[in-house]
This record gives sequence, structure tokens and C-alpha cells, in this order.
Amino acid sequence: MENLQNLKELVFLLCSAPGTPGDEHAAAQAAQEELEKYGRTVVDHMGNVLCELGDPSAARHILLDAHIDQIGMIVTTIDAEGFLRIAPCGGVDRRVLPGSPVVVYGKEKAFGIVCCLPPHLVEGGEDKVAPVDKMAVDVGMEKEQASKLFAPGDRVLLYSNPRTLLSNRITSAGLDDRAGAAVLLRCAELLSRKPLRSHVTVLLSSREEVGGQGARTAAYSLQPTEAIVVDVSFASQPGVPETKCGKLGMGPMIGLGPSIDRCMAEDLAEVARDLELPYQFEVMGGETGTNADGITTSREGVCCVTMSVPLRYMHTTAEVVDLADIETTAQIITEYVMGVK
Amino acid sequence: MADIALLKRLCEANGVSGSEEEVRAIILGEVKGCAESIEVDALGNVIVFKQGRRTPRTRLMLSAHMDEVGLIVTHIMADGLLKFAEVGGIDRRVLCGTPVLVNGEIPGVVGAKPIHLMKSDEREKSVPVEDLYIDIGATDKEEAESFVLPGDIVTFDSFFDTSHGKIKSRALDDRAGCVIMIDMIKGELPYDMTFAFVVQEEIGLRGAKTAAYQISPQAAIVVETTTAADVADVDENKRVCRVGKGPVLSFMDRHTVYDKEYYKLAMELAQNNNIPCQPKEAVAGGNDAGAIHSAGSGARTVAVSVACRYLHAPMGLISQEDFHNAEKLVMKLAEEIASRPPTR
Repeated sequence: MENLQNLKELVFLLCSAPGTPGDEHAAAQAAQEELEKYGRTVVDHMGNVLCELGDPSAARHILLDAHIDQIGMIVTTIDAEGFLRIAPCGGVDRRVLPGSPVVVYGKEKAFGIVCCLPPHLVEGGEDKVAPVDKMAVDVGMEKEQASKLFAPGDRVLLYSNPRTLLSNRITSAGLDDRAGAAVLLRCAELLSRKPLRSHVTVLLSSREEVGGQGARTAAYSLQPTEAIVVDVSFASQPGVPETKCGKLGMGPMIGLGPSIDRCMAEDLAEVARDLELPYQFEVMGGETGTNADGITTSREGVCCVTMSVPLRYMHTTAEVVDLADIETTAQIITEYVMGVK
Repeated sequence: MADIALLKRLCEANGVSGSEEEVRAIILGEVKGCAESIEVDALGNVIVFKQGRRTPRTRLMLSAHMDEVGLIVTHIMADGLLKFAEVGGIDRRVLCGTPVLVNGEIPGVVGAKPIHLMKSDEREKSVPVEDLYIDIGATDKEEAESFVLPGDIVTFDSFFDTSHGKIKSRALDDRAGCVIMIDMIKGELPYDMTFAFVVQEEIGLRGAKTAAYQISPQAAIVVETTTAADVADVDENKRVCRVGKGPVLSFMDRHTVYDKEYYKLAMELAQNNNIPCQPKEAVAGGNDAGAIHSAGSGARTVAVSVACRYLHAPMGLISQEDFHNAEKLVMKLAEEIASRPPTR
């Protein structure tokens, strides 16, 4: 797969641009600069990035969605000693925070460390972890200095240095869902090379991690006839039963379940088989926990399916995906869209 | 004045206990030609004897440790994941979901079960080390083994930051102490003294013991970092010491009751020379003084430390001013101790 080096650079580029729910600006801009190569791209009033491809007058309008926000923290107050008190912005994993290096985006970007008590001062040793809204970030400043640079509402992200691992795997914070965004940027690239019979919108939606309001409002405005939501889902790792996840390197996890469209899922699987590309199914008993939930019930309803990139260590700095899965997902979606009349 | 660029080089070098080669190489390069005798002993300690302007009345040893806490690969599993053990007292809460480097170059991550798949009581607890593993992306044992083997050393994948008058980095414990000693060796000393850059402090003060045996000091100054708990939500009384309030002097910890006269002497010298300093407000932790003061027939020992938050985590935090003031105090103290007779 010769594109993997370029794809890796794209993913790392996206991961290096911060964007937390409701403040996706930098990430949206980085994505917009890429998408503009393929089609007219705008950022709307909700922070969604929208790129139009194909024939706007076509009967079928396919919405391809991935979310551009990533989990983070938000400063609630600066305390008397200059520590920044925080609350979670999205489902942050509290266990990974104490002692972690973070980046605070205030008037300037600054490095901080999430406060943690030395073990000898913790009653009961190292076992319990406080909830995120009882945590604080240490930027090494007194209150006066901190107040000049930071304010309530400023965002905090886990510090991450994207790295290449073995076997086409990469690690970075924010692969949820920059991996999905990379899938769609790659789709846009592939789709722009040929004439499209349908109308396609690539949507990189805001606010997924806090309720999916970006995708829901975009779907309302766009009125697609169908949608594919590209997020990430659980790849097998120790401590997680195999029965609950997919596998890295085995292709996209196509969603099957009562809240999503079974025909679309089967069509995507068939496309994968025709292309001789790997895929796996992810069966869910209820709603999906992705943007699909808001899109499927938009207006009179939209046929929608999920395709997720398998990912390990979700919502930590150490998220891991397989680049081959991103490429495979993009190819399957591209072929599917090309086949739509 | 000690060079922060050198501190960066040392902090970025890998030197988990028992594998201090990289750090030792930098130190040897820095002190070359600056002392009368530079030796590396059987365990890897670097022992530097430097003459001063005068012969001292007390045989003085200064000590800082080269090693840092880290992890060691114990087993490669069939699925290519690595099991590990801690080397030194790593705070295990900071391991979960953390990026690491094997042998300083193979990137990996310490895996963590996704919160979405945990029961609610699991979400609150930190994960025991036995349930943790390192993922380097290998798909099977064979692939992993072409890059990593049991016994390989693992460090936090971190960075060095010097903004706003602080230094945030891995391994400030005790590369900060090492840099202070290097700076003293490069300058002129008032009296002869011996500097020991020791190994294996974090796994039991082992290098210091053998260094003290060789040097047989009458007095010793341990140059260290020590835990500052002046972070959010810690009671004033439990803060131990504070970043920015000067070098820390300890009267007692879990391994040593420090020489009372030297402790007071250090406080006086600080006051008389306008060097801020603070007492360590807890009997907690320990350092190479534990091995040195009780080595052979014993040595009168004192410790001067830089207050450091988040010791034994991916990023510690110290104040640049404290770092420079610690050096000033150590120099004054060394001169004063060397000038006096060893017994009261």
C-alpha cells in the first residue's frame, strides 16, 4: 500500500491541530486546507467543516461524516495558588490524567502537568483516582501570572507526540476521530479524480464528544438521503473480551444493529468483498453511541450506517490505529459512493 | 552557573538504574581534563577527585545519582505485547495510557482498557502493574522479538521545557544534582574534594555504598531532588517543601538522620549569603545519604535538594532559581565543611 506514508503524514497533521468540543477551530482549519483541494469547503456557524463534491442536482445526496472534535479538558477557574481547575470536555479517562503532561491553550500555548499527590500522601496509597472536575493543572505559575495568560473556558489537551509503531500502526492522542477524518479526506481525494453521479458532502462535524450537536444540525441543514458515519471503535486488547471488539488490521468495523441500516451495511460488505479488502462487523444492540444516532432521526429520517476504524486505548494519549485500516475504509467508501446512481 | 542546556542533554539521555551508560558517557565527556583523577568503578560509578587551592581538613564527598526510574521488559507475549516490571519506585498511577520508548528508540504505549467498557467502580481505580502491558505495534511475538527482548529498558516518552522560569522534564531526579556537580568540577575549588556520580540509587542506594567504600569520606553532601507536594488540594501542613522557595535541607528521612550540626550550618550559610532555603517538612523518602552516612566507619552527612513536583512521573517540575541557588549553597557548604576538622 504505497499511500500509507502520505496517509500517515496526513493523520499526524490532523492530530497536531487541536480541537475540543465547541472549539474545533484549529483542527477544522487544518482539515479545511486539505479538503479545499478537492471541493468547495466551508466552515459553518456550528464549527462543522463541509466539503461539497459531485453533482448537487443529483437525486441522491450522500453524507459522509467524521467528527473533528477530540476529548479534552476545560479550565473552570484559576485558584488562589495559580493552579488551573478543570472539568472534562468529552469523556476523558480520569485514570490517565494524574501526572500527565498537558497543553493549555490560553493567550499563549503553555505546557502543564496534571497535579498528582505523591504516593506517600495519598490515604490508601495509589489506588483511587479523583474525578476530573476535582483535578487541577500545574502550569508552574502564581495566580497573578497565570491570570494574565489563562482564563476560564480555555481548553486543555493531553500532550501528544505522534509516533510510528511497528506493522503500519501509529499512536497519537486524538485518533478518535482524526483517524475518521483522515478516512474522509482520503475519500475526497479519490472521489475528486472521477465524475460522480451523486451529490456528496464530506462533513467533519463538531461537538460529537458532548452530544453530537454538530452532526445533528448539519444533517438537518443538508437533508441527505443517506449517510455513512466514520468513527473509531474498540480493537481487541488485553482485558477486553474478544467478543466486544474488532481487530486492528482487519479493516473497518461495519455497524449492524437495530438503529442503523442493514442494507447499507450489507452493500458495503459486498463492495469490500468485490475489492478483496478486509472488513469486520460490529454488532450493537441499541443505539451506536456515534453521530449516526442523531443523523438517522433527522427530519423524516435518514438511512445511515457506521463504519469504524478499529482503535486501542480509546480516550487516552496513547490511542493506536493501523494505517491500513484507514486506507481500506476510504477505498470501500469510495467504491460504494462511485457505484451510487 | 550550571548550564541548563547540559541539563537538557542529560535529562534526554536514558539512564534507568543499571543502564546508566548514556548518562555516564555525557558526564565523562564534560569532566574530562578538569580533574586530577576520573575513574569508573565496577558498578559504573564515576568517581572524580579534584584538587582545590588548599588541602582540606575534612575528606569530603559529594554525591548525585545518574540513574532514573523506569521499566524493564520481562516477557514478550504471543500477541506481541510486552509485560514489564518497574525499576525503582515509579508512581504506577502515571503508567496507564502513557507513551514510552524502549531502549530510547522504539516507541510504544502502556495500554489501558477503554473507560467505555469498564464498570463504574473500575473507572475510579488505577490499574495494577500486573494488568498493564506495552504495545509497540507488533502483531505477534516474532515481530516484537526482532526489535525488543526481555531485559530491555523502557523510559517515559517525554520532553524538556524551560518556559516561565521553571524546568519541566523527565529525570530531573537526579540529573539536576549531576549538573550541579559537573559545574563545580569545571570551576576552581577552594579545597580538594571527591565527586561521585553514582548508579542504582533508585533500586536501593547501591552505587553510593560502593563509592563511599572507595572514597571513605569523613563528610558527605548529597545533591538531590526531593518531592514537593505543594500542588492543588494538598493541606499546607503536608506540602513537604515548595517549588521556588529555595534549596531544601532535610533533617531526617526514612533512611538517614542527618548530621545536626551540618544541617544548621547549611541554614546559617544560606541566611548569611542571601540564598533562600527551606526545611523539608516531613520524614519521608530517602536518598544516597542512607548508604553513605553508614558506610565503613560512618560519615557526617547532609543533603541539599531541589524541590521537585511529580517526581517519578513522566514530567517533573523544578524552579530554575532553586536549581541555581542549590548550587550556590552546595558550594558554600562544601567549602565550609572542608575547611573545618571532621569532629566536633
